Amino acid sequence: MRVRLANVRKSFGRHEVVRNLSLDIADGELLVLLGASGCGKTTALRMVAGLETVTAGTIEIGDRDVTHVLPKYRNVAMVFQSYALYPHMTVARNIGYPLKLRGTPAAELDAAVRSAAAKVHLEELLDRYPRQLSGGQRQRVALARAMVRTPSVFLMDEPLSNLDAKLRSAMRAELKRLQSDLGVTTIYVTHDQIEAMTLAHRVAVMDGGVLQQVAPPKEIYDEPANLLVARFIGAPAMNIVAGAMEHGVFRLRDGAVPLGGAAPRASLYLGFRPEDAILAPADAAMLRARIYSTEMTGNETIVTCHLDGEPVVVRADKDFEGAPDSAVGIDLDPAKAVLFDRDTGNRIRR
Amino acid sequence: MTIPERTLLRRLFTAQDLTSMAPAAKVVVYALLLSWLMVVLFPLYWLFITSFKLPVHVNDGPDFLPFIDFKPSGHAWRYIFVELGNDTLRPYLSSVIVASCSTVLCVLIGAFAAYALVRIQYRVKVGNVAAFLLFLAGTVYVIVNLGAPWPVAAAVASVLFVLFATSVGRSFQRSLGNDDILFWIISNRILPPVVVVLPVYLMFQRLGLLDTHVALIATYTAINLPIVVWLMRDFFAGIPVDLEESAQIDGASRFRIFFTIVLPLGRPGLAATSLLILILAWNEYLLALFISTADAQTMPMLVAAQNATRGPQWWYMSVLIVIMIAPIVLTAAMLQRHIARGLMVGAIKG
Ligand SMILES: Nc1ncnc2c1ncn2[C@@H]1O[C@H](COP(=O)(O)OP(=O)(O)O)[C@@H](O)[C@H]1O
Ligand SMILES: [Mg+2]
Repeated sequence: MRVRLANVRKSFGRHEVVRNLSLDIADGELLVLLGASGCGKTTALRMVAGLETVTAGTIEIGDRDVTHVLPKYRNVAMVFQSYALYPHMTVARNIGYPLKLRGTPAAELDAAVRSAAAKVHLEELLDRYPRQLSGGQRQRVALARAMVRTPSVFLMDEPLSNLDAKLRSAMRAELKRLQSDLGVTTIYVTHDQIEAMTLAHRVAVMDGGVLQQVAPPKEIYDEPANLLVARFIGAPAMNIVAGAMEHGVFRLRDGAVPLGGAAPRASLYLGFRPEDAILAPADAAMLRARIYSTEMTGNETIVTCHLDGEPVVVRADKDFEGAPDSAVGIDLDPAKAVLFDRDTGNRIRR
Repeated sequence: MTIPERTLLRRLFTAQDLTSMAPAAKVVVYALLLSWLMVVLFPLYWLFITSFKLPVHVNDGPDFLPFIDFKPSGHAWRYIFVELGNDTLRPYLSSVIVASCSTVLCVLIGAFAAYALVRIQYRVKVGNVAAFLLFLAGTVYVIVNLGAPWPVAAAVASVLFVLFATSVGRSFQRSLGNDDILFWIISNRILPPVVVVLPVYLMFQRLGLLDTHVALIATYTAINLPIVVWLMRDFFAGIPVDLEESAQIDGASRFRIFFTIVLPLGRPGLAATSLLILILAWNEYLLALFISTADAQTMPMLVAAQNATRGPQWWYMSVLIVIMIAPIVLTAAMLQRHIARGLMVGAIKG
């Protein structure tokens, strides 16, 4: 079902945690709310669930205004970061609890529990207690409990953040598959940009309670709306260097980049991704820098250079060798470079 | 560094690992525990053998070994069970009814109150409390001195107070929080019970409830309530709120959450608290002395009665105390299983 947040605000006392959040989430869409810790993602999600009152604005699920509706009448299912399993109930009873509350007949309940458990490969563990499960298994129980009924919306608050790296990437793929099979609208909260990029149909980036950009992952990556998004997305993050546009050329102290179509303007930032630049001999390149350090990761080498005294990261071939402090040139793909206004931080379209 | 030689002496005083004790320490600890065990068990043993002694044996100094120091006799048991017969049974039943009913009531009401104090933030306006006391004093004055019929006076005062609290009362600033309420509840136990004996006596006399089970149950429930609230609050505070929020989203009402999540998880606390309250009610003497005279007389009074006109009848008292202790020991043994810890493991995190 469609979910709409219109100008939603939330304050705790004087402290405004979510500011004017408007989101329109399509039926069956997986929207990821991405942002650093403390930026108000959980609060936004809890407002959709009804666990937190809304200071101003409206929330709609389907065509229904649920702004003042109690959680139990919203028909949402939530997976908590802590999983929130009932420690005194077996896995089967945990999963069946939402149906039990609805007075589902025993046979039907049992079948539903089994089918939900099968979706997350828990059939063998139905008689165990949460304390007898590993972290990954507990996570699956929480998922199965959310999927046992057919909610209008899934709400997930960092569901993978307590798992180790390997399990997390496996669960990520499974979650994505489950969501597309079930086709239930999902709001997924995370601070992990990889998770956001890999899972989302669209990513909503938040910072300090303010929504910065909502767009498909590729667009978020290639065309960040402002400096905040540009700096937050990508590992290593986008390089940002200061300069000015003159006669179709972006000029810095140590070089210049030809950028066709951009109007002359002082006080700009140029942003480019580490993979959109290549290292070249110092004398012929667009930018002149010094190598600061090199890190071989296996399939590539991450080279950190100093350009105008600022660190700039370039992805190079895994066989790249360069001595620290040696001069190096950087060439970049002008088509992929982006410009930001230095005062507002917003991207300048060209 | 040199590794110290493992001499016998050193081995005696060092533990093998962190979870075990050094042999010497073990000996000391067990010796202390054993002597304490003697201190605790000896009076019970003495009690038990005294119940089988003839008055002559009791009076001619301490004898400890049955069949050797003295010849056991069932005379006291026969007196209590056959000659007294119903006069033993009635107080016994009284005690069972009063203690169990007041414990169940007390723990149930106290658990509700403790849960509310943990989960709901109350703001009681100081002004309204003061106003309530004023209205109360005024009502009493009108009834007593001006002879107004009390139902009318009470109704008028209630309406006036509600009007006041919802109009002028809204503008009061200072308010009390949950901690203040808790302190007020506990402060009810600061008064020594003997202070309230007379008012309580007069109250039940007026109500025509003197010497009834109802009066005792009501009194015990009231005086033990603060203890239950105080103890249970900590247990409930230890339950992660996520569990309850999850249940709420899954469609559970507040009562459903309380009975299916909170109470089962508070079981260790409930068991321990119930046991304590049961013991307090079972052994209570002072209030029972005033409130009950014949029909509702409880066991502690029967025991005390053996010290009446003919001087202390140690042998009869011993029998009574033995049969008084028995059910408490049994209950403690039964509840012991539930006073286990670690019930919350597996609720949250991986
Ligand atoms: N119940 C609350 N009372 C007061 N402040 C809160 C409450 N819940 C969250 N906050 C504050 O709101 C901000 C956002 O919190 P949260 O939504 O949990 O962030 P995120 O999930 O993005 O890490 C934080 O600064 C946090 O301290
Ligand atoms: Mg959070």
